[in-house]
Amino acid sequence: MLEFSIMADALPSLLKGAGLTGRLAVLILLLGMTIAVPLAYARNAQSIWLHGPAKIYILVVRGVPSLLQVFIVYYGLGQLSFVRSSVLWPVLRDPFWCVIIALGLNSAAYTAEIVAGALRMVPKGLLEASQALGLSWFQTQRKVAIPLAVRAALPAYESEIILTIKATSLASTITLLDLTGAARLEVSNTFAPYEVFLTAGAIYFCITTSLSWLLRRFEERLSTDHRTGERSAKKLQPVLPALTNH
Amino acid sequence: MTADWVSGYGLQLLWGVVTTLSVTLMALIIGTVFGISLGAVKIYGAKPFRYSAEVYTALVRGVPDLIIIYLIYFGGTVALTKLTGRYVDINGFAAGVASLAFIFAAYASDIFRGAIKQVPRGQFDAAHALGLSRRAAFLRIILPQAWRLALPGFGNLAIILIKQTSLISVIGLEELLRASSVISGATRQPFLVYSVTAILYLIMTSFASWGFRHARIWSNRGFA
Amino acid sequence: MSAVTKLFGSFAALNGIDLSVARGEKVVVCGPSGSGKSTLIRCINHIEKHDGGSIVVDGCILDHKAANVDRVRREVGMVFQSFNLFPHMSVLANCMLAPMLVRGLKAVEAEEVAIGFLRRVRIADQATKYPSQLSGGQQQRVAIARAMCMRPKIMLLDEPTSALDPEMVKEVLDTMMELGARASVDGMTMICVAHEMGFAREVADRVIFMDEGAIVEEGAPEQFFCQPKTQRARNFLSRILH
Repeated sequence: MLEFSIMADALPSLLKGAGLTGRLAVLILLLGMTIAVPLAYARNAQSIWLHGPAKIYILVVRGVPSLLQVFIVYYGLGQLSFVRSSVLWPVLRDPFWCVIIALGLNSAAYTAEIVAGALRMVPKGLLEASQALGLSWFQTQRKVAIPLAVRAALPAYESEIILTIKATSLASTITLLDLTGAARLEVSNTFAPYEVFLTAGAIYFCITTSLSWLLRRFEERLSTDHRTGERSAKKLQPVLPALTNH
Repeated sequence: MTADWVSGYGLQLLWGVVTTLSVTLMALIIGTVFGISLGAVKIYGAKPFRYSAEVYTALVRGVPDLIIIYLIYFGGTVALTKLTGRYVDINGFAAGVASLAFIFAAYASDIFRGAIKQVPRGQFDAAHALGLSRRAAFLRIILPQAWRLALPGFGNLAIILIKQTSLISVIGLEELLRASSVISGATRQPFLVYSVTAILYLIMTSFASWGFRHARIWSNRGFA
Repeated sequence: MSAVTKLFGSFAALNGIDLSVARGEKVVVCGPSGSGKSTLIRCINHIEKHDGGSIVVDGCILDHKAANVDRVRREVGMVFQSFNLFPHMSVLANCMLAPMLVRGLKAVEAEEVAIGFLRRVRIADQATKYPSQLSGGQQQRVAIARAMCMRPKIMLLDEPTSALDPEMVKEVLDTMMELGARASVDGMTMICVAHEMGFAREVADRVIFMDEGAIVEEGAPEQFFCQPKTQRARNFLSRILH
């Protein structure tokens, strides 16, 4: 039978681990998105010198297990002497940053695929119209393409967020005490795998489920605004009286 | 060094590939059968069963695979030890297959549910009108058509499964990733060894996605 | 069949139907869309579950018990408006499936039976093709052959021509007329939802007119088409004849 006292005892260190899990996830997603946007533009580019490397990068990263990518960054890079002598070595020796780099580069490939798909869904006519109005390429992207693509990308990006939170558990394999790592430590102290892993699983479940619920709510609000045009109408209102004054 | 690579380490990596592929295949078969049943329960099952199936999928979706693998491996060890009264070390291969099939089935059930629902209702009517039993109608008429519709999603899951097998290296089964970790330690050339391993994984996943693409084309023959 | 009702939610698709069809009789059911004709014949082989009243088919009471439902379905064949051929099987396999699974025929016997009926609907040369490679009219003829392969005592046809392009209606009607002629020889009962007057006159022993889930009028085809008794039937006829 389950012993609830073990669960209660393990809870503080597990929650501390959950804090690290959250920090990892946020940094990974930030790094991933930063790389993903230019990568997505490269992937959609006409020139083979741009879309070729981008496609190969996405293919390779998505074709290889993420745990192996973590190992390559954490154990592998140290073998290369130019890495060891570089200024980045203190960062690359730290398992915390290794996980963020490995999973961030990984998330970048998946996110780039989502962003590129969403950008391709923006109707060509809208882009032509915006350029016909005299907007520059950058202005067209910023004011027309990206706002529309964000809505299209949102559902897929939500599941990328949840997958990233789950993927941070790989940090436990290179000595980090994230939620999974803390659970493993507790198990080796108590040898009560059921109690500890079930508690850890429950914490993960609460985080991912509540987050995906929140994200869905957020998405619904965006899409209803989009349909009824309520928000844009409100934005226009203060402008309209100003116009009549002239 | 070169001789070592060809004889010892090369063979060890190759054996890792074989283990990875066998775990994938076993988990794929068990997970598919389980996933189809679960998908059918989600559509046809009585309310309590349907509800349990939904909860099962939601749990697997919300918890990292590693936690599930640890639970089944360590939990299984503790359970068997208590059951038999002496220490039992659970087989890593069995625990690996069981946990990956468990995860696979949860995702596959949603894909099959969607595919089954897309088969026109008239197909069921026609099967019943011909006197086929519910079981025969499902197995002979509905499922073969659902397979075609499920194939794209199923292929993605299968490719994810190949990559997921790397996770069971944490419970000591010497599949490809574990083998390459062992060799990395022995040769002190982790970058080289892991890069070779990455290429091996890439070959497996690319081959699988090529295969599924052709399966999809083949399965669409005869359909407009 | 007595006092049969069928509800879709609060809507009564069938509202106290009393109907008996003799062995070997050929009945054509007509009426405006939404009048419950399809629901009526779908209840006879329990594709649709009736909510009230009782249905007796070939001496077997249809009481929602699986054993009785199976027994009835073995003896009742059905042809659908939308063909419902199995797209993943060849024409021949479509026809062989039920005889093998339900009747327990061997593959060779089932093939013999299937080829026999496919020949009768004049489509045996297409036996190895898949349904999607055939025209609508050809598909419906295969569906008729498929139902006949079970050698049913009762044949239900649910608007077999209404999903067809006009130029294909005739080939299917010809097949159905031939089916009717053979039915007279074999003593097979036929219940057919159809609007084609020519077909009804040629084949039917009795015409049933339904509206709003009830049988409004019935009689011999000659009498029904020339001198309908009720106003509703007259309205309906004037609409389909023009």
